[in-house]
Amino acid sequence: MLEVSNIDVYRGETQVLWDISLEVAAGERVAILGSNGAGKSSLMGAIAGILPPAGGKINFKGETISGRKAYEVTRFGIALVPEGRRVYKEMSVRENLEMGGYVSRKQRRIDQGMEQVFALFPVLRDRRHQAGGTLSGGEQQMLAIGRALMSRPELLLIDELSLGLAPRITKEIYQAISGLELETTVLLVEQNVEMALSHSQRAYIMESGRITRSGRSETLMADDDIRRAYLGL
Amino acid sequence: MFAIASMNGIVIGVIYALSALGVSLVVGIMNVVNFAHGEFYILAGYFSYLFATALGMNLLAAMTLAVAIVFVFGLLVEYTLIRPTYGDDLYSLILTFILSIVLQNAYLLIFGPYPNKPPGWVRGATDIFGLFMYGNQRLAALVAGTCVIVFVFAMIKLTWFGRIIRATSQDRGMAELNGVNTTRLNMLSFGLGCALAAAAGVILAPVFPVTPTAGVPVALTAFVVVVLGGMGSLRGCIVGGLTLGLVENLGAAYLSTGYKHVFGFIILILVLAIRPSGLFGHKEA
Ligand SMILES: Nc1ncnc2c1ncn2[C@@H]1O[C@H](COP(=O)(O)OP(=O)(O)OP(=O)(O)O)[C@@H](O)[C@H]1O
Ligand SMILES: [Mg+2]
Repeated sequence: MLEVSNIDVYRGETQVLWDISLEVAAGERVAILGSNGAGKSSLMGAIAGILPPAGGKINFKGETISGRKAYEVTRFGIALVPEGRRVYKEMSVRENLEMGGYVSRKQRRIDQGMEQVFALFPVLRDRRHQAGGTLSGGEQQMLAIGRALMSRPELLLIDELSLGLAPRITKEIYQAISGLELETTVLLVEQNVEMALSHSQRAYIMESGRITRSGRSETLMADDDIRRAYLGL
Repeated sequence: MFAIASMNGIVIGVIYALSALGVSLVVGIMNVVNFAHGEFYILAGYFSYLFATALGMNLLAAMTLAVAIVFVFGLLVEYTLIRPTYGDDLYSLILTFILSIVLQNAYLLIFGPYPNKPPGWVRGATDIFGLFMYGNQRLAALVAGTCVIVFVFAMIKLTWFGRIIRATSQDRGMAELNGVNTTRLNMLSFGLGCALAAAAGVILAPVFPVTPTAGVPVALTAFVVVVLGGMGSLRGCIVGGLTLGLVENLGAAYLSTGYKHVFGFIILILVLAIRPSGLFGHKEA
């Protein structure tokens, strides 16, 4: 479904990604792991159309999306839950979700989508008239995920779901995502390696802008090097 | 005297608010200060004068056409002058400043230095609660200004266009991720900002005739209102506009007419001393 082939990405003058290639099949859950500054967010940005790659190619469902603007990539069926959540702080929860449905702008689709999001995260229903900025961190993350789901993406990109959240909340949100319909393919970036590996089928490991390892999540979880480097075991 | 000064303050305050809305919208979305704002106001005044007086058009049609033309002109200015400067706010400041000078000189060449005044909409005066007689044209300006403001707020609150305007001014990158073509939105909102200046222009021109440089104080006042209300805050424009209108007129009535504009600046300095980000502004802005 998603094929990233040999992309190079720059931020300003500095190259941050070197020759990255990865593949995600429809329905798969794939994790990207790596320490701070490894380039995980840059990779997400490149896929979402925020950071156009200088070389290489990104294909989605057989069409080339690299070189397209972010607002066009969204229309292909890719939604990004960005690092730091970035909810619209002065808009209500409802309006935040409506913005997620901007691509279709059909009231009926938006109402349906909102019901599905409320079913997934019931607390958002209670908070629907509250401004996004008044929610707790966990609720904001739910809102950010809900907003992304409003566009009915076929590929959901999630950057640092667990950042700054209590373990209990992180677990709750991961459980909700695991319950998503199988059509939604998920590519997630995590620093919480254990959480990421137990909620994905495959994973890629990044180090200073390059992919250094990849494999099945179970295999990586059992790998001694990985356990030592990332799980502190 | 208090009643009539307050009334003047409210009428002029509403027009200040309307004109400031256009500036604030563009600041909020594009982070661009349009120095030629006042010249767009004047342009609409000249157009409504031309269409109504020289071409004998119906007044409402003349005003609508004037606003529409200024809107399109605004779109063109964004496309040709502002868009290439994205990412460098200083360039757009300098370019719109040059544009304002060029327009002032063009007006001088075409219309001469004399004041031009489109015909009034209504005649006579109305007795206000037995307190004083007030010109009907000014009352009509108050009603029209209020209607345009209500229309703008309804649009911002209730339509998709308003929703993406608010989303984009809060987080441009996120709005783009949600599918908003922010380049196109920039152009539309710049045009809308100019159209709001134009609306203020056609409403006020029958009261205060237009001259080639009459736009300068208009723009300055709009900037004061925007800073007073808080950069990019639309509610702040309303409160800021009314405050400024009232302070100027009450000050002129009780203290001295000569210092009318000074009172506005004093209020501005006082407010900024207490709340550096303006009445409704955000801390970081
Ligand atoms: N806005 C920016 N401008 C320039 N360089 C940046 C910018 N953001 C990140 N970088 C650099 O790009 C590299 C990759 O950063 P990126 O944010 O993609 O890493 P990451 O793996 O997501 O890190 P983290 O775990 O901290 O989120 C880093 O060296 C970082 O310093
Ligand atoms: Mg990151």
